Amino acid sequence: MENILHSGIFQNNDLLIVIALIFGILTFATLLFFIIGKIKPNANLKELKARTKSWWVMASVFIAATIFNTKISYVAIAFLSFVAFRELYSILGFRESDRRAIFWAFLSIPIQYYLAYIGWYGAFIIFIPVEMFLLLPLRLVLKGDTAGITKSMGVMHWTLMLTVFGISHMAYLLSLPELKGFHAGGRGLLLFLVFLTEINDVMQFTWGKLLGKRKIIPKVSPNKTWEGFIGGMICTTGIGYLLAFLTPLSTGQVLFVSFMVAFAGFTGDVVMSSVKRDIGVKDTGSIIPGHGGILDRIDSLAYTAPVFFHLVYFMAY
Amino acid sequence: MKKYTLWFIYGFLVKWFLKIFVGVKFANARFLLEEEQFIIVANHNSHLDTMTLMASLPPSIIHKVRPVAAADHFGKSKFQERFSNFFINALLIQRKRDKEHPENDPIHKMIRALDDSYSLILFPEGTRGEPEKEQALKPGIALVLSQRPHIKYVPAYLKGMGKAMPKGDNLIVPFISSLSFGRPTKIESTDVAEILKQIEADFEKLKNA
Repeated sequence: MENILHSGIFQNNDLLIVIALIFGILTFATLLFFIIGKIKPNANLKELKARTKSWWVMASVFIAATIFNTKISYVAIAFLSFVAFRELYSILGFRESDRRAIFWAFLSIPIQYYLAYIGWYGAFIIFIPVEMFLLLPLRLVLKGDTAGITKSMGVMHWTLMLTVFGISHMAYLLSLPELKGFHAGGRGLLLFLVFLTEINDVMQFTWGKLLGKRKIIPKVSPNKTWEGFIGGMICTTGIGYLLAFLTPLSTGQVLFVSFMVAFAGFTGDVVMSSVKRDIGVKDTGSIIPGHGGILDRIDSLAYTAPVFFHLVYFMAY
Repeated sequence: MKKYTLWFIYGFLVKWFLKIFVGVKFANARFLLEEEQFIIVANHNSHLDTMTLMASLPPSIIHKVRPVAAADHFGKSKFQERFSNFFINALLIQRKRDKEHPENDPIHKMIRALDDSYSLILFPEGTRGEPEKEQALKPGIALVLSQRPHIKYVPAYLKGMGKAMPKGDNLIVPFISSLSFGRPTKIESTDVAEILKQIEADFEKLKNA
């Protein structure tokens, strides 16, 4: 027990502050919607309330999985990848002759996360983009069904890159070496990344609802507006600046990194939107009430995680 | 003993395996507790179908529900027969009718199980067939229901199982699948063709839901 809980979390004020902040925001949002609901009984708050409720669950699960023990965190993030991968190719569909190759793709998840766990950077960074990229087509070829094989090769690897490679950068943050004078550590960086990405989603949504007029890409996502985009970028960059104590970065660096996280988050969101539009579904699933599937929530993370990781890795390590 | 074994295997092991690994969305089956006896009638694409239906059953009635299975597949040897009997609780029948030996006749066997107050799980498509494609229903279910018209049937529809584990491939690949139930229904007429039509319409409704 001592060992499981030995994480120094209760000595680490930086992390505690952010956790308190997260639950503070959630309490505020819950109360806000409750009061608005009382004042204006006609207001349609059902979806917002469902979303907030789901946020409570997701925030609690995330904090529980990342804060207490880092070993659990690797498993939890790997499971997140697994669910996202399953969800994405379940809606994309596949040929019956793809099944073996898909099974191989599944096996790459534990390997990728094991590489993150032992901190073997060189292997971690090429395993999916290079090795799986070369290996999966071989498995498809051995099956011998060539009708539609090019599409299968492309879709399978793209799915793997998005849901496993991208997301696994969250886990590698925990394997980064310790830096002198930087106390928040890998968990601080992970918390910074996830908090900033999610708050960016919320901010883009909120500013879009409040001021949104000019659409950015109406063909892909009619809800995305310039007002939401710019409002979100400014807020996210500002919040990133305030949370700089979770990172080993200088002020200028943290502003730039936060800005890039906001931009990458937006990109991930619209990329996933375009895929959903292509297949003709609104959400990728129905696991999270008010949000849709797991992918609807982590689409932006799949983009922000590698961008954030490599910027920080380059600047501070 | 059998009751707890079945509960442990299906209500716990199989259910969590299906939920976490395969990604099956279960429908609530507690409404079955209100029925004294029923026949679950489901479409059939995969070995996972029986597993999923068994795992969805409320624990207190699981030992009273017997999936009907083909003896030529599940009872090839004495050992397999025992295994199917104990771990799947299966009611093994032969595919062809045998009116001269009623103890071997599939319809007779099912009716006897019903008279012994068992409920049944039946796949009227007969075999699993091609993944995610429906086949014409075999008349067995209608023959049973027309002789015991007071027993309700419960339509169940399984989606995606044929992708997760199709016929002819024993490798399970995780795939988001689902199980949904219709309402317990009595047959409207005792005519075989009419009964099959009624069940087909129920399947169609669940499929598009």
